[in-house]
Amino acid sequence: MQQYIIRRVLLNFLVIFLVATMVFLALRIDTTNVVRNASGACLGGAINTQNGAQTCLSITKAQLGLNHSLPVQYWDYLKKLAVGDLGRSFKSQNPVMGEIRQRVAPTIELGLLEIIVAVIVALPIGIISAIRQDTWVDYILRFVSIAFLGIPIFVIALVTIIVTSRFAGGTALPDWFGPHQTYYSLASDPYQNLKIMFAPAIIGGLGTGAVIMRFLRSQMLEVLRQDYVRTAWSKGLRERVVISRHALKNALIPVLTLIGILLGSIVSANIVLETIYTIPGIGNYVVFAVAQNPDFPVIQGIVIVVATTLVFINLLVDVAYGWLDPRIRYS
Amino acid sequence: MAYEEQAIPTVTTAAPAAAPLRRAKWWSGVLKFIRKKPLGAIGFAIVGVLIFATLGTPKLSFGAPSLPDRPLGFELGRPWLQRYSPDATFKLNSRAQIFEGVSSEHWLGTDKAGRDVWSRVINGARRSLFVGIWALILATIIGATIGIVSGYFGGLLDTVVQRLMDALQSFPPLIALILLVSINPLTTSPNLLVIAFALGFVGIPSVQRIVRAVVLATREQQYVEAARTIGASDLRTMRYYILPNIMASIIIVFSTGLGVAILAESTLGFIAPDKLPVGPSWGVMLNEAQPVIVDHPLPGLASCIAIAAAVLGFNLAGDALRDVLDPRLRLT
Repeated sequence: MQQYIIRRVLLNFLVIFLVATMVFLALRIDTTNVVRNASGACLGGAINTQNGAQTCLSITKAQLGLNHSLPVQYWDYLKKLAVGDLGRSFKSQNPVMGEIRQRVAPTIELGLLEIIVAVIVALPIGIISAIRQDTWVDYILRFVSIAFLGIPIFVIALVTIIVTSRFAGGTALPDWFGPHQTYYSLASDPYQNLKIMFAPAIIGGLGTGAVIMRFLRSQMLEVLRQDYVRTAWSKGLRERVVISRHALKNALIPVLTLIGILLGSIVSANIVLETIYTIPGIGNYVVFAVAQNPDFPVIQGIVIVVATTLVFINLLVDVAYGWLDPRIRYS
Repeated sequence: MAYEEQAIPTVTTAAPAAAPLRRAKWWSGVLKFIRKKPLGAIGFAIVGVLIFATLGTPKLSFGAPSLPDRPLGFELGRPWLQRYSPDATFKLNSRAQIFEGVSSEHWLGTDKAGRDVWSRVINGARRSLFVGIWALILATIIGATIGIVSGYFGGLLDTVVQRLMDALQSFPPLIALILLVSINPLTTSPNLLVIAFALGFVGIPSVQRIVRAVVLATREQQYVEAARTIGASDLRTMRYYILPNIMASIIIVFSTGLGVAILAESTLGFIAPDKLPVGPSWGVMLNEAQPVIVDHPLPGLASCIAIAAAVLGFNLAGDALRDVLDPRLRLT
């Protein structure tokens, strides 16, 4: 086990290194636009003289650290990365690490709320759908889950905004389900914060819940067919005991790993919701960083941070899986 | 349950004696499919409608008041190969107003520039399908090739390829997509094919993973062993013994991937509309409609429904196809 974990950690670092290299190279394919855009203020004054424009560009290039050759830049980048320094943002000149740290709280909060909503919804629905397999209850629940899986999250969000604002204008609903102009953090104003997070958490949670529900249903069906469940039935145990103690406990193990994997991808899953509901999280930040004028250090930083969380959560999930289900042996 | 489902699409296995009744058999096959897989049937119906909509000739000017003269709101003919009409050049019709309501001239009203929403939704279908199909062609060809080779040879090559795929997959997909389309040195202006290939590139690791898993199982089959014994080369084994046997899985990956690609295209249009070429696209329409969605919900709602229906349709159809062709893939 120990050996397995050590090997996986080393492999994870290899993956992170590959990610860092790929994002670095992808960004360096075309730097002329970035330099030109970044030197806008300087160019404005010197646009008329060819020489002035050239000096402007080269000054900006040096400021952004793009004047060195590619291997030199790469080596510098890796050296900084090794000590956890992600460089400074092109736009704000602040250290990227600090900028990410500022914005990570709303993203994690939203992600956790989503998972909570998802689990609360998916657990009972998945169980009912499995123990009442192929009845009309099952069909309806499955149809709803397929709808939530298939219909894009931003479509659900926008339709909710339309419906609540058009048809419930006078009530409190638009306030709870609509986007807000200003953001309040959880620490500064918990009630306002809850209001802002409410709609995205519910909508994102239902989308995630549909994934969990489908998986739980198939796992439950699998477990309900096992011999030990039949034994439990034939011992004359009550349905509640068979379902909750014998079946659910075993069906939940793979579901827990799924929840872990979903937790690892909250950043990329929430980009759209953060944009619609104007939540200043990582997703919103990365869209801003990629949009008109790519902010290289920010993009690199976020991609590396996201990839790192993803691979290590996956490792945790695998280890937890072996711990919860001792039949699984890693070699 | 799985056994019954496997047997559904066998429409042509009717007994030779029943040849005159073949037409009836064909219909009964379809009916049986609808009865057994109602959701899949709905999916295929939606996909059919979508494909039908792409057969229409795009309007050059989306202010077109002549629209309802056509029975469907668009003219059939001269399909797919025609260039996408840039709606930047549309002529504002004198009769068209911005944010007009539903009328016989504009079935779904008009948007913020007086363009007809219905014809834009119809044209958006062409774009979505175009991007989706090209993306999946790239993703399946490259992903399946890598998957077959790495799954077949295994060993060090497989380990290296898997780590590379891990790295590609731990990129946040949407960020990777925006990045790819915003730094393309191939074109100075956004190009639809570049968008499609970027989408396909992002999809390669997931295709590769599924194909590799299926190849790993197929590799151990006796007929593969037999082929090796009679001296078939690696290439020949892969081409004539493994590939035909994993074709069902590849078709499934392709069809389920289409929904994902269409969703990704509209998400991209919604998040970063300036990265897409001008033209009627569902995601871009939604982005344009979003700021005024409370006061003028119609254009936004129309593209919402179009995206939801298309993605749902491809998902349902893909799921049904998977259940029928290869139930083993259900949990992957």
